Amino acid sequence: MNLFSRGIRNAFRNVIRTSSIIIILALSIGLSIAMLAAKQAVQDKIATVKQSVGNTVNISPAGFRGFEGGGTALTSDQLAKVSKVSHVISVTQMLSDRLDSNTTNLQSAIEAGQLGQRFGPGSSDTQPQLPTTDSSSSSPGTGTNTITRSFTPPVTITGTNNLSTTAAFNGNSAKITSGATINASSDENVALVGKALAEKNNLSVGSTFTAYNTTITVKGIYDTGTTFGNGGVVVPLATLQRLSSQSGAVTSATATIDSLDNLATATTAIKSALGSDADVSNSQDVASQTVEPLESVKKISVFSLVGAVAAGAVIILLTMMMIVRERKREIGVMKAIGASNAKIMGQFIVEALTLTILGLLVGTLVGIAAASPITKTLVTNSTTSSQSQQFGGGPMGAPGSNAGSRPVGGPAFRSIQQTSRQTLQNISASVGGSTLALGAGLAMLIAILGSAVPAYIISTIKPAEAMRSE
Amino acid sequence: MLQVNNLSKVFRSEGGSVTAVDDISFSVDDGEFASIVGTSGSGKSTLLALLGALDSPTNGDIIIDDRTITGLRDRQLVDYRRKTIGFVFQNYNLVPNLSAVENVMLPMEYAHVPASERRKRAKKLLEQVGITDEKLQRKPGRLSGGEQQRVSIARALANKPKLILADEPTGNLDSENGTMIFDLLHKLARSEHTTILVVTHDLDIAGRTDRTFKLKDGKLQKK
Repeated sequence: MNLFSRGIRNAFRNVIRTSSIIIILALSIGLSIAMLAAKQAVQDKIATVKQSVGNTVNISPAGFRGFEGGGTALTSDQLAKVSKVSHVISVTQMLSDRLDSNTTNLQSAIEAGQLGQRFGPGSSDTQPQLPTTDSSSSSPGTGTNTITRSFTPPVTITGTNNLSTTAAFNGNSAKITSGATINASSDENVALVGKALAEKNNLSVGSTFTAYNTTITVKGIYDTGTTFGNGGVVVPLATLQRLSSQSGAVTSATATIDSLDNLATATTAIKSALGSDADVSNSQDVASQTVEPLESVKKISVFSLVGAVAAGAVIILLTMMMIVRERKREIGVMKAIGASNAKIMGQFIVEALTLTILGLLVGTLVGIAAASPITKTLVTNSTTSSQSQQFGGGPMGAPGSNAGSRPVGGPAFRSIQQTSRQTLQNISASVGGSTLALGAGLAMLIAILGSAVPAYIISTIKPAEAMRSE
Repeated sequence: MLQVNNLSKVFRSEGGSVTAVDDISFSVDDGEFASIVGTSGSGKSTLLALLGALDSPTNGDIIIDDRTITGLRDRQLVDYRRKTIGFVFQNYNLVPNLSAVENVMLPMEYAHVPASERRKRAKKLLEQVGITDEKLQRKPGRLSGGEQQRVSIARALANKPKLILADEPTGNLDSENGTMIFDLLHKLARSEHTTILVVTHDLDIAGRTDRTFKLKDGKLQKK
């Protein structure tokens, strides 16, 4: 029998009280472990998302809103400045244009559909047609007129100097399913054609089509897996600039930076180099915007963790204070028969540790069971709420306006956002060794904090009290 | 062995001050069995607490074996209580969740007696006071008052103290058990050559000790 065995045995002097304390402590410690796991899972997810979006800087003409217009095209000279910025390892340039019946013999692979009909006057394959009003279906003044428009979406042609970027394929990854790729840095009249467009126009490798009164040869057919992505044409940048009479013009560019660590510095330097002529944003901005809900979940988990630890410490504190008060006379007797304050404190700390360790054991099971559901619930609630706020307004399909809070543009960035948002939902928390070790450390902290005040009370108890009769 | 010089203890509170022990001087010889008698509130227990270093005096000195214990530091006082003093309380004050033998082993643990010796010595002491066999493992709640007090005496003897301070050791016992406990203390004082100072209000008991000091209102009366 020594200090440790007495401390452990004392923890079970009142079995009902001990069981109750262990259950309450287990809930507190379990919540702490669940919150630690949630924080770790969220932190890992944030790192994954930020890593996955890469180290790129998006550059577009200031005020540019895609085919809705706005802004003045960037020039090759401006982008040459970007290439010279420190840490920039490459600059992918793109020029986008739309081909209508006046400029190509291609038929769009995409039907306008009901949504497209709303943009009727935007079609240019024929003279814009005025909406037809079917007066028979409504009475004047009722406001229920049926509007019918005739609209065919144009064919998008993209010129790029780098085919490895997804931006050239409307933000999608493309696979050459037939033929070969083109040399993006050449000035040849060659093209890659989307699978759907090729099927619509009976094109195959070696076929030709007309654009800008020039015959262009199909070198390859690509597949992006999306209807929209498969409806375009991709040509070398210089070719499109020449054919569309937009020499040196660029509608978007993506600068690749040597490392994530230099992304912020390089972004600032690019902004400085281009001044007010361009809107510059980096992929981390998009990622940060996307992982904003996770940041709030992280904060919630930290606050909950602190709260749970504090609650555990208070539980132990009150329990030990109650026990010390209850055994005040016994403490006095122990002092009278030769126990030092340290010995008595040690015995009570062992008792507190015993309760805490038992609480930790049960709490670990609670934490393991609760970690994933709690994390999923927090993340789902946060991301749903955040997305409804972000997409609450703003014109559909307007490039660069999908963020709601701040404009970041380009198909590449829309793709990053979509991917990142999807990965956010696929989160699961697991209680690993490090989380358990941290949880055990927190439990010890709870025991020590909870024992501190009772230990002080012990040191102030005068043994003379033991001599006085009850 | 024990020398008390001009010892006083004054308890101060907002309502005023109470002098529990008032300028007491006396001495007890080595191996003597002495008693202190007095009515309730006469300061007997306070005096015993001062002698046992459980409380500090307001004035005066306590000298045991030529060592002044008043003014010792906390750590030295713990050591003094551990090695020099053995306490016997009126209401036994055994630790309720420890067995009889474990209660006797407890002071030995505080005095750093090797674990192997503790149990052996505790059993021997308990045998001396008549606690044997299965009663060794009984917790205080399963022992009679007399048995508990016997365990308490064995515990007081655990570290072979020079001075045993007993506060009304028979106060909670019937006369038969009271006499038996008193006889036991008397026998141990003789066999172990231990000095014993008993506080009691029972004049019969006091009359059987070697010397009796009478306390009244904190002052020592001439016998």
